Amino acid sequence: MAPQTVTVTAPGHHGFVRRYIFSTDHKIIGIQYIVTGLVMALLGAALAALIRLQLGWPDRTWPWLETLLPEGFRSGVMAPEFYLAVVTMHGTIMVFFFISFVLVSGFGNYLVPLHVGARDMAFPFLNMLSYWIALLSALVLILSFFVTGGAAAAGWTAYPPLSAIASAVPGSQMGQSIWLLSMALFIASFTMSGLNIVATVLSVRAPGMSMMRMPLTVWTYFVASILGLLAFPPLTAAAVMLLFDRHLGTSFFLPSGLIVANKLVPATGGSPLLWQHLFWFLGHPEVYVLLLPALGVASDIMPAFTRKPIFGYRMSVYCLMAVGALSMIVWGHHMFVSGMSPFSGEYFSLVTLTITVPMTIFGVNMLASLWGARLQLASPMLFVCGVIALFGSGGLGGLFLGNATADMQLHDTYFVVGHFHMMIGGVTLLATFAAIYFWFPKMFGRMMNETLAKAHFWLTFAPFFTIFFMQHFLGLQGAPRRYYAFTAFDYLQKTRGQNLVISLAAFLLVSAQFLFIINFVWSLAKGRVAEANPWRATTLEWTVPSPPPHGNFESVPTVERWAYEYGVPVAGGDFAVQTVPGDEAPVTA
Amino acid sequence: MAADGIRVAIRATVIRRLEGSLVAALFAGTAIVGALYGARAWLPTLASRHGAGIDSMLNYLLVTVGALFVTGYLALAYFIWRGSRRDAIGPRFAGRRTEILLSAALGVGMAIVAEGGVIAIGMPVWAEYFDAAPPADATVVEVTAQQFMWNVRYPGPDGVFGRTDPRRVDDTANPLGMDRSDPAGKDDIVTLNEITVPFGPAVHILLHSKDVIHSFFLPNFRVKQDAVPGMTPEVVFFPTRTGTFEIACAELCGLAHYRMRGTFNVVSQKEFTEWLRKQ
Amino acid sequence: MNAHEAPAAAVSLREDQVTLGLWMFLGTVTMLFAAFTSAYVVRRSGSDWRHVALPSILWLNSAILAASSLALEAARLNGDRRRWRGAIAAVLIAFALGLGFLAGQVTAWRQMAAAGVYLPTSPHSAFFFMMTGAHAVHVVAALVVLAWGAVATVQGAREPRTWASRMTLCRTFWHYLGLVWLMLFALVSLY
Repeated sequence: MAPQTVTVTAPGHHGFVRRYIFSTDHKIIGIQYIVTGLVMALLGAALAALIRLQLGWPDRTWPWLETLLPEGFRSGVMAPEFYLAVVTMHGTIMVFFFISFVLVSGFGNYLVPLHVGARDMAFPFLNMLSYWIALLSALVLILSFFVTGGAAAAGWTAYPPLSAIASAVPGSQMGQSIWLLSMALFIASFTMSGLNIVATVLSVRAPGMSMMRMPLTVWTYFVASILGLLAFPPLTAAAVMLLFDRHLGTSFFLPSGLIVANKLVPATGGSPLLWQHLFWFLGHPEVYVLLLPALGVASDIMPAFTRKPIFGYRMSVYCLMAVGALSMIVWGHHMFVSGMSPFSGEYFSLVTLTITVPMTIFGVNMLASLWGARLQLASPMLFVCGVIALFGSGGLGGLFLGNATADMQLHDTYFVVGHFHMMIGGVTLLATFAAIYFWFPKMFGRMMNETLAKAHFWLTFAPFFTIFFMQHFLGLQGAPRRYYAFTAFDYLQKTRGQNLVISLAAFLLVSAQFLFIINFVWSLAKGRVAEANPWRATTLEWTVPSPPPHGNFESVPTVERWAYEYGVPVAGGDFAVQTVPGDEAPVTA
Repeated sequence: MAADGIRVAIRATVIRRLEGSLVAALFAGTAIVGALYGARAWLPTLASRHGAGIDSMLNYLLVTVGALFVTGYLALAYFIWRGSRRDAIGPRFAGRRTEILLSAALGVGMAIVAEGGVIAIGMPVWAEYFDAAPPADATVVEVTAQQFMWNVRYPGPDGVFGRTDPRRVDDTANPLGMDRSDPAGKDDIVTLNEITVPFGPAVHILLHSKDVIHSFFLPNFRVKQDAVPGMTPEVVFFPTRTGTFEIACAELCGLAHYRMRGTFNVVSQKEFTEWLRKQ
Repeated sequence: MNAHEAPAAAVSLREDQVTLGLWMFLGTVTMLFAAFTSAYVVRRSGSDWRHVALPSILWLNSAILAASSLALEAARLNGDRRRWRGAIAAVLIAFALGLGFLAGQVTAWRQMAAAGVYLPTSPHSAFFFMMTGAHAVHVVAALVVLAWGAVATVQGAREPRTWASRMTLCRTFWHYLGLVWLMLFALVSLY
């Protein structure tokens, strides 16, 4: 294939709006996603604080919150319907509008073209469109707080009939429809973005960039995007069907003889489990869509601070493929006690636990990458250590939940909450911070403050681990999730102290994020000016100025080696960037 | 000037080692505190026969997973501590053989821990719980969940439940929609939020839901089953002790989900007969 | 360089990229209809399943869609032999038949409504309206692509390479939707 002709336009050429607002430049779009996602994260964190406020002090009143949120805190007490809306929106926002935006779409957009040596994504216009649709979906979601009945309150899993019948819970009035609309927009945008990433990896890699020379980051985005493309359409179908059930009188998910609020619902013969199958067919791959990029980003940050290649690159790539394939056929492990046939339960249990094999190999490869390292614990590396730790504890928790027999006791308890927060909450959160501290100099041309960043790590990891580790044991005690309070049950009385500790840790965690915000904003304006390659790293983005110009590379780079050429004897250093020819430094792969 | 340079370098080394030790201590401390915190009897008092199997599954996992957790975190801590005192990297590669062997060993090891646990401990419990036909002498109870209560019905002396029809349901007068003309229903016993069973025979529960999905959760009996409208899942289990236990709802069902509470009494056969008579 | 130039869209799309993009898009559409189909199969076992009578015009619509695919093939054969007038005529016929298919589908829906069969009438009718509706939406999108191919055919004599690549895309998309229709039609009438 002949490289296409490219005109690199001079900066400041098309005016502010074209360059920074309606830009087709993948770097600007990536930053737009990241900033939007961080703003949504603030909202998500505020909602988490409200949840912990309620669970930590279930019998206190908060008159000052009533002035702030008159609907949610009537006479100073959090209303149960508001609590459920907060839980639902916290989950939705964090999964789809924080981690998906910042880590998957944001860093995916920013890094993939740079990493494969392309000037832009394969379809730049589609890319811009995907961001604006994503932003619209976020705004639509926020809007749902202000409609009659409040935001959706059936959980992020939106199980019908609760989510289908307006009188079942206040959030199922208008809020649920808006939630579904927002999801449909999000899916449209995410599909465009995923399609773009796959096409970019397949079609615009620089000469010499064979698949097995790609950094793991690119591999993870590639696998995650394919999963997204395959798994999201069924959720679209399910969302359409649920909307029809809600507004057009069909009964896809509604069985006969339902009596809600003392009224017979006219629906007949539908199947609530059908929704669960369709939802989890998306839902399970979706967690890998979030998790894999976190692992890829962490793997690629590591060697810059260990000064040696990552361990077992090839094996890690194969593991990614295996995990991707397996993740499509294990959705039923979310439904062990749903009334699904016990025989399917055994099947899903066995297949689910197969995933531990590639994931263990991948995780231990990350750990083994520290073996023999000359370690520099700069802030991105600190967060990567946190990623490895949380991936270990989160993954091990999965052994309980993938096991149908153990899941009978643990299903829908706080064990599940602790587990998935470790994985798609913690691994992704810490990887996101690692990525921001690592690539901030490339994005904005300035370094972030190292002292604040290190303080941020300590004050994030410690409370985060405390919260979600303790929640596993709440689950073992039988504390169900999505409870507004644990006061009504005798057997849960002894969890009060634990919930108080968890809430205190949660407030510490949320407060610590201000260190990050201050650092981010301050560094944008006043940070030390960054060189082109401040971390002495090897991937292609470090060969261009910080920030890279529109079009990234002056001429399409030729790739001579893999992305992990560290610890090699080179004049004036110990590493070779991917473009360094073979006669200047030995080539490993 | 040269002395200054050396001083800066020494300072950097000291700080690097100190930071390494601190971070290593963080992870090592996490492992130890975590293991101490976890090594306690967390599960609610056991009160069912198959529950013993579930508990051995859970305990097996707590021990193996706990050991893996501590090992992993200590390894992480060691690598961090060691790495921050190195001035040059060790060998670049472990060698292809080592990589493949390590992967294979890990793969097989994890397969044995995870799948082995399911096959050896989990499946038999699962099979015992689901596959066994309910014994003829089981106490049959129908539980109909609704926002936010548990309607309980016993078939009465004839052992047959009367007909119900959703069209007859009235939440105050006839919450189950029972057909009063059906003779089989005449002797049915209906209670609210309270199940009483005799100690000895199995308990056979027929689960319904009137509105949304609920989940019938007996923490002490290790029983959890979603009550899905339109379906009638059945649960069979053997209580192993008498006493009063709690029923919780474990699937988000609406505003008062958190206080959808019932009690489950296991009483002696004599007390049960007495109780039946009073109803 | 002056300000009138297109902003950095200067990176023009290559043929193989567009083809790749289309195939991936068709992959997601396949997953969408696979989800509808599996939901249909699951829901089919419901106690209240009742087949509604499907209007016979659907047979005609199927024939129209098949004819449209054939016309598109004729357009390609003509173009390959550089018979541009024939190609233009054929592609316009294909487009017109595509519109005819849509009109036929709308007629089918109206006939069903007139017979008292609506979306909530039975699960079968619900699936029928939903799936044929989803298919029709994709047909509308494909007609836009087909129009783009028709423009290329009109200019085919000048730019035969552009014509050839666009025609491949149009044919892929159009035949694919024809295939989806056949499967949907078979599903709703036979199972």
